[in-house]
Amino acid sequence: MPTVYPPTPPITRRVALAALTTAAASIALWPRKPRSLASTPRGRVIIDYWEKWTGEEAAAIQRVVDLFNASQSRTWVRRTPVSDIKTKAMVAIAGGDPPDVVGLFSFNIPLLAESGAAMALDELATPDTPPSATPYKPAVQRLLSYNGRVWAGVSSCYTLALYYNRSLFRNAGLNPDNPPRTISEFDAASEQLTLQTPTGDIERAGFLHNVPLWWPYFWPTVFGGSLYDHKNAQATIASQKGIDAYAWIQGYPNRLGREATARFATTYARAFHQADDPFFTGRAAMVVQGPWIASFIARQKPDLDYAATPVPVADLLYQADAPLGLVEADVLIIPRGCRHPQEAYDFVRFTQRQDMLELLASLHGKSSPLLNVSPSFTAQHTNRYVSVHDAITASPRADILPQTRVWQQYSDLTISAFQAIWDGADVKSTLQTTEYRAQSLIDHAVALRARRALLKGSGA
Amino acid sequence: MNHVAQSRRDVLRGLAWISPWAIGFLVFLAAPILLSLWYSLTDYTLIERPVWLGLANYRELFADSTFITAVRNTLLFSTLYAAASTVLSLALALLLEQRLRGSALVRAIVFLPTTVPIVSACVTWMWLFNPDFGLINSALHVTGIDGPNWLGDRDWALPSLALMSLWVVGGPLLVCSAALRDVPGTLYEAASLDGVSTIGRFHHITLPMISPALFFNTVMAVIWSVQLFAPPLIMTPRGMEDATTTCSLFIYTNAFFYGRMGYACAAAWLQIAATIALVCTVLALGRKFIYYRAG
Repeated sequence: MPTVYPPTPPITRRVALAALTTAAASIALWPRKPRSLASTPRGRVIIDYWEKWTGEEAAAIQRVVDLFNASQSRTWVRRTPVSDIKTKAMVAIAGGDPPDVVGLFSFNIPLLAESGAAMALDELATPDTPPSATPYKPAVQRLLSYNGRVWAGVSSCYTLALYYNRSLFRNAGLNPDNPPRTISEFDAASEQLTLQTPTGDIERAGFLHNVPLWWPYFWPTVFGGSLYDHKNAQATIASQKGIDAYAWIQGYPNRLGREATARFATTYARAFHQADDPFFTGRAAMVVQGPWIASFIARQKPDLDYAATPVPVADLLYQADAPLGLVEADVLIIPRGCRHPQEAYDFVRFTQRQDMLELLASLHGKSSPLLNVSPSFTAQHTNRYVSVHDAITASPRADILPQTRVWQQYSDLTISAFQAIWDGADVKSTLQTTEYRAQSLIDHAVALRARRALLKGSGA
Repeated sequence: MNHVAQSRRDVLRGLAWISPWAIGFLVFLAAPILLSLWYSLTDYTLIERPVWLGLANYRELFADSTFITAVRNTLLFSTLYAAASTVLSLALALLLEQRLRGSALVRAIVFLPTTVPIVSACVTWMWLFNPDFGLINSALHVTGIDGPNWLGDRDWALPSLALMSLWVVGGPLLVCSAALRDVPGTLYEAASLDGVSTIGRFHHITLPMISPALFFNTVMAVIWSVQLFAPPLIMTPRGMEDATTTCSLFIYTNAFFYGRMGYACAAAWLQIAATIALVCTVLALGRKFIYYRAG
């Protein structure tokens, strides 16, 4: 028995008219081109540029983009703010549709370079069009290079410095014009500035390494140690200097109480750069922070009486003219497979001009990545302590993050190690375990890379 | 012949109507599942071609202390959440079935949090859990108890997440309420005539009669809890990762932060296998304890 369907109700004239009217309205209202292209001049090559910054930092880079767009009539850069940018860039590259330029971190370079996902800038350069006409500071040059080639342009660079509350220094009987330079001086100042209730709760922290816990890998640097031996591809966090650094850190919870320090850190874990930032409210007298904090202070607590100085170092390592520090950078990478690599390169070159780098650095409150800076740069800078960061970036003793594709895993291991040490674990054995695990990751990555090279060589 | 042609047309028409779903299923679900099985046997970083490794990823996982910690945390969370969610939803359902004034309003209030986006809920709970300014510790302080550092203490972090997850107990509560209303009143009347106490009636009538609903809630709680992802990602302060890393978080971190997609796929397959094993265990136990009414 075949299926019998009920008769379809007839379409009335009213229904047909309504459907036609809706269709006509939809066609009339349908945009002829994407809204993002509405303000794009005709006939230009569109360069898609993904950048991680939002807010004022995004507005700053947009000024550079606008200046580029106004400087010529061939190319138009369209900036898109993208969160979790590395992940999305990797997915876009894997999907064969990457942006033309992507703003990443310098520690992303090894993975992208080894996997062939980024284009080396010398591939696109000619003798007349080098990536940058002016030389970078040596540490920045090292950050942009990997295996002898330059893989990125720099958009900004940063170092960490000690920011301290001058009023609290004065109130505690310390001289705010003579901040601590060595670990001994630093410990003494921190102790004087710390206030605890009779029950042990921290009312005001002189200094705590986990407020905020953003750079748990930084501390060996101020003891002259390093995280990585680039020459031999060896993790070195458990060197004697590393052990000294983390043993020094452990002294703080030992003195002030683990429970009390953990409580203080958790209370403010999400407050940084907000109105209730413990440094802005005077509940932390000293913090280690990047240069951007000046912009946040200007916005959240403009009357804060503060100053900045290089992070104090182990007593025997102090040199006034060569501070120790760690340099990191935001970089511009051209993904392989992008639609307009040559135009993207032209844009990256434009951003590397001294005036553009100084404009962005000034608006971000950061130091210049270039070896030479114009006289007006420091004088007109938004961060009045930019010279502190500049001195660290330019210092011959400035170090950079390990250039290995497993840095992010290594970095996460240092977080666990830091926390374990803070909680009272044995420093030496914790660091040795961390080093062992980091080395396993490095060796694994090296072995896989060799295997890939072998397969490539055999044409498989 | 005409009949056969008509049936074939019906089949083709049916296939055409379900084709959007079928194509979507094949392209966006079946194919990625099969691909992930292949990737789990390779070194794959998303931006490089996969290189065959065999079972090396699986061997590495069994020796990876972070993965073992993630499995342990997931099982602990799952046990805590499944038990607490089942008991709490039953207790609330029993209370709300007492026909007290305002019980309908309370039921709506209990169900309301299930409509709140997870990120908003997490941020709210982070404030509630704040050791110094949080509402929970402030309330405890009034009663003379010094509240713990909920999210910042290794021992408390995971139980805190389980506690927070009970916020969405509204779903299981509705299932329990429906089951309670389905218990025939005649059974209670007969038990009362026989002089059975309230506890006896709960034990011998209510629990067996609603056991399929409790079982359903438990299975769903287990399946949901082994996939825990957003709360530890959002709420865990830096340095506490070991205490709250779950399998899903481990997979996400390896796939997208570390660029180890092949390794993450292997972990995902182990998670699927473990989830199936866990649910099978619950089903096997269920056969022993669940009472299904005839008809």
